[in-house]
Amino acid sequence: MRATEGHGMEFVRLEDLCKDFQEGPHTRVVLRGINATFARGESVAIVGESGSGKSTLLNLISGIDRVDRGAIWVDGQNLTTLDERQRTLFRRHHIGFVFQFFNLLPTLTVEENVVLPLELNGINGMGATERAYDLLDAVGLADRGDSFPDRLSGGEQQRVAIARALIHDPRLVLADEPTGNLDEDTGHHILGLLDRLTRHAGKNLILVTHSRDAAAYADRTLYLTEGRLTNG
Amino acid sequence: MDDVRPGPGMHSPPRSGSTSASGTLWNIGWRYFSRHLWQSLLMVLGIALGVAVVVAVDLANVSASRAFDLSVDSVAGRATHQIVGGPQGVDEAIYTELRREGVVRSAAPIVAAYATSPQLGGRPVQLLGVDPFAEAPFRSYFSAGQTAPVAQLTAFLTRPGAVLVAADIAYRYELDAGSAITLEVAGRSRSGTIVGLLEPQDDLSRRALEGIVLVDIATAQELTGRVGRLDRIDLILPEGSEPGQTEIEAFLHTVTQGSATVRVQELEARTGATRQMTAAFRLNLSALSLLALVVGMFLIYNTMTFSVVQRRPLFGTLRCLGVTRREVFGLVIGEALIIGIIGAGLGIGLGIVMGQSAVQMVTRTITDLYFVLTVRGVEIPTVSLLKGGVLGVVATVAAATPPAYEAATVTPRVALSRSGLESKAERAASLAAIGGSALILVGAGTLGLPTTNLIVSFGGTFLVVLGFALLTPLVTKWLMQAVRPPLQRTIGVLGRMAPRDVSKSLSRTAIAVAALMVAMSVTIGISLMITSFRQTVVIWLGEALQGDIVVSAPSVSGLQDVTPVDGQAERIVAKHPAVARVDLLRSATVDSPQGPVDIEAGNSSDYGHGLRYLAREGTVRDTWDLVSEGDAVIVSEPLANRLSLSTSDYLNLYTDRGLRWFPIAGIYYDYASTRGTAIMSLSTYREAWRDDAVTALVVRLNPDTDPDQVAQDLSAELAAIQRLLARPNEAIRQAALAIFDRTFAITAALQALATIVAFIGVLSALLALQLEKQRQFGILRALGLTVRELRSLILLETGLMGGVAGALAMPAGFALALALVYVINRRSFGWTLQMVVTIAPFVEAIAVSVLASLLAGIYPALRMGKMAPADALRYE
Repeated sequence: MRATEGHGMEFVRLEDLCKDFQEGPHTRVVLRGINATFARGESVAIVGESGSGKSTLLNLISGIDRVDRGAIWVDGQNLTTLDERQRTLFRRHHIGFVFQFFNLLPTLTVEENVVLPLELNGINGMGATERAYDLLDAVGLADRGDSFPDRLSGGEQQRVAIARALIHDPRLVLADEPTGNLDEDTGHHILGLLDRLTRHAGKNLILVTHSRDAAAYADRTLYLTEGRLTNG
Repeated sequence: MDDVRPGPGMHSPPRSGSTSASGTLWNIGWRYFSRHLWQSLLMVLGIALGVAVVVAVDLANVSASRAFDLSVDSVAGRATHQIVGGPQGVDEAIYTELRREGVVRSAAPIVAAYATSPQLGGRPVQLLGVDPFAEAPFRSYFSAGQTAPVAQLTAFLTRPGAVLVAADIAYRYELDAGSAITLEVAGRSRSGTIVGLLEPQDDLSRRALEGIVLVDIATAQELTGRVGRLDRIDLILPEGSEPGQTEIEAFLHTVTQGSATVRVQELEARTGATRQMTAAFRLNLSALSLLALVVGMFLIYNTMTFSVVQRRPLFGTLRCLGVTRREVFGLVIGEALIIGIIGAGLGIGLGIVMGQSAVQMVTRTITDLYFVLTVRGVEIPTVSLLKGGVLGVVATVAAATPPAYEAATVTPRVALSRSGLESKAERAASLAAIGGSALILVGAGTLGLPTTNLIVSFGGTFLVVLGFALLTPLVTKWLMQAVRPPLQRTIGVLGRMAPRDVSKSLSRTAIAVAALMVAMSVTIGISLMITSFRQTVVIWLGEALQGDIVVSAPSVSGLQDVTPVDGQAERIVAKHPAVARVDLLRSATVDSPQGPVDIEAGNSSDYGHGLRYLAREGTVRDTWDLVSEGDAVIVSEPLANRLSLSTSDYLNLYTDRGLRWFPIAGIYYDYASTRGTAIMSLSTYREAWRDDAVTALVVRLNPDTDPDQVAQDLSAELAAIQRLLARPNEAIRQAALAIFDRTFAITAALQALATIVAFIGVLSALLALQLEKQRQFGILRALGLTVRELRSLILLETGLMGGVAGALAMPAGFALALALVYVINRRSFGWTLQMVVTIAPFVEAIAVSVLASLLAGIYPALRMGKMAPADALRYE
């Protein structure tokens, strides 16, 4: 069954995605032909147990890992035909990433971490700083711009990561277990923030999580079991 | 809460789980190093090279020192005193009289010279003319039943040109009793026959005999052109022999009619001065080898610190789990100890191999500059090996102590915080800079102290270098801030990111940069010193070389040549149509109350005009007039320093007419020897020593003549009377520079080794640094940094670190050069060098720094480029 819904203009399409991992002499099949489409501006949660391949799927969509078979279309662009450099540049311009373990650079301040994607897009100076502080204000951390990541709580670090994921105005935001490392209240706060900032800006959000509560923030939920995506 | 005590039947809790805990801790250490295998191997290699350099230089020094002792002892034997006779030696009649009068029981006449023989490989050997009947108490070669059988002794005494050589050396050159041999001394050749082989009983005597050829007194006199003269008479006077010595002095006074030249003196007084001067040379080498170890230590410190900072979260976790400070400290020190032992073990082996060439270089230099070493070969004393090994292990453990302390004392909370570490590093950078500035001032003050103590001087030099190293973190931060805007303008975002990464990771980057800086500053310092020295010598040679051609007897070393030239030579040379003028020069070694002094006496009316003076009486012309027309002398700077002489003093020398005071008219710059030289007029010399011999002819040619052609003509014409060398000035200049280059060959080798140690250290430090950032690079890739940009970023970061190290090494290296040129050299050898600053060492240092850093970046750059960002993100 195709996990596809036909409303709105199609923004992301996954066609028969397959991915294996070689572990010594054994091959572990993680994704066994994933098919799905996501409409423009849609927020989708992908739910699965630990080890079900959720993060792998997100890594494939973002282009930080390569598919073994299948195709990924984002806004009419087939990412699987792009070479490494083109995929990276696509990610740089169009994708924002929120990780489970925040992945802030420890030697950069909060402000510098947030500005980084803008810098990679060749934008810096006052304009970049102002945009960073707007977003930090939006996530409630405008007063922590000079702090280093390890001086922040887990929830605060994830709010910085959200600001970083959005600063270059990407069309697609990928969130990999964004609350997996946080307590329940903080988790809800983060999901609310992510939902508000992406939905109001008309961005696509793909959220992978093992929590059905977290999935409730999305427009719809897909389930990843035994390497296949289903509607439930 | 109630106090819970174990009741009957209850087990007490174990007092500690230290055995299994320490096993686990060791596992942690072992796994860290096995997972970072390249880093561990490079660290071991760094230590091994540092130890190898120290061991090699120590072996060279010990071997050279031993060779010196053996060379002296083989000739002096058990003599306690010697009767010496100034430049002309001792009349053999004095020996006859001494024996006839029975003034002393044990006396042996000696004629000694350095000879070469094509059959003995052409290397210098000590030709010893002896009286076998007088030898037994002094040297064991002729002791009954031990070495020379009666048949050999008979042949030695009765056969003209009879020669005895050590069996070892004979076998080496495939000679045997009966083989013909040609001996050449100072251009005179004589054929002889080996009548017997000396086979000493013990190894020491075997080595001592290695450089000796024995002939009878008459043969030696004939070969050296000193018929009827002896070089000295060896004496054995019992302990506390003042009465015996006084008696001999009285005897000599009578038989020489009051000449002060023929004197009896203690042997140690003669060899002591040479030993002292070679000691300065050897101390310099030791200091340089220690410098290589210091560079190595710095790099060990860097690597151990890195391994600690890299594992701070691990140590934090262990501390949270209840591992004590002592256990963490023990773990880090234990790791260092193991690495130190492995590195030192390998270093000892490598040092023995490297020692073989080091010995050749050192003995050659000592032969060139101080004393002809006829004994060669490498000594491998266990003490040297142990010393190098212990030094390597201690250096490793000492270098690991601060990081071990850091690992043990950091609070678990801070240990887990990277920003805590970086904030601490930033605060430490300012404190280190203050400390560094203070060290530079203290070091400079120490160098300025009016002392001749070399250890104090080297201590001051080390303080200055260490001071610069401590300035590194702050300067790195400043420089990174300074280069960021222009780099951003030229290469965009990477130009902004790279300097920021370097300055924001000072805890990792600063020490690596400091280590490279120290190594490069040593390279610059030594290069500048050698360049300055060479340039000074080149300028000095231009001023000091007289005439167009110099005619003298061939010499076996670079030492002052005191072999007389045949009396007919002057007439033959003067007859050549191209020759305009011939000046005579007599070089001799005479005695003074402070030991032997080399003198040069000439009849040139203008020689002194071309010299450069450190101090003088009046104008150059006035000064030289006092010498050429009066009885004044001018002394070289090393001699003035050695004997603490100034222009208002007198040089006291034993002459044929008693102890005489020669007024000092000037002190001139001279780099011919570290013993120093006094120049006087030939007439003053002849009058004082009643010696008409000449050791060199200084020839001036008519304009537009070819010196090479004339030199060839003269050599050919003179060959009939004596094989003399007629060398154009250019050839002498080249020969002098060749000696110079040989002298510094070992210095340059040590410098190169220090650079290799630094190179390896930096490679390992930066490699580890970049590999540690794997996860960060993964994040950057996920955020959109392309492979090419990532590679550029890594190379830019390592290149910037190399650039900073190179830039900082410039002032540090210059300061080191100032210390070496103006303080260390002056205090070691007594001469002032002119500082010559060339651009090459600076460019070289920057190039090596950047190259090492870029090389260190290549592997991580390639590896990260190949790795999928998803894998990099999974890296812990």
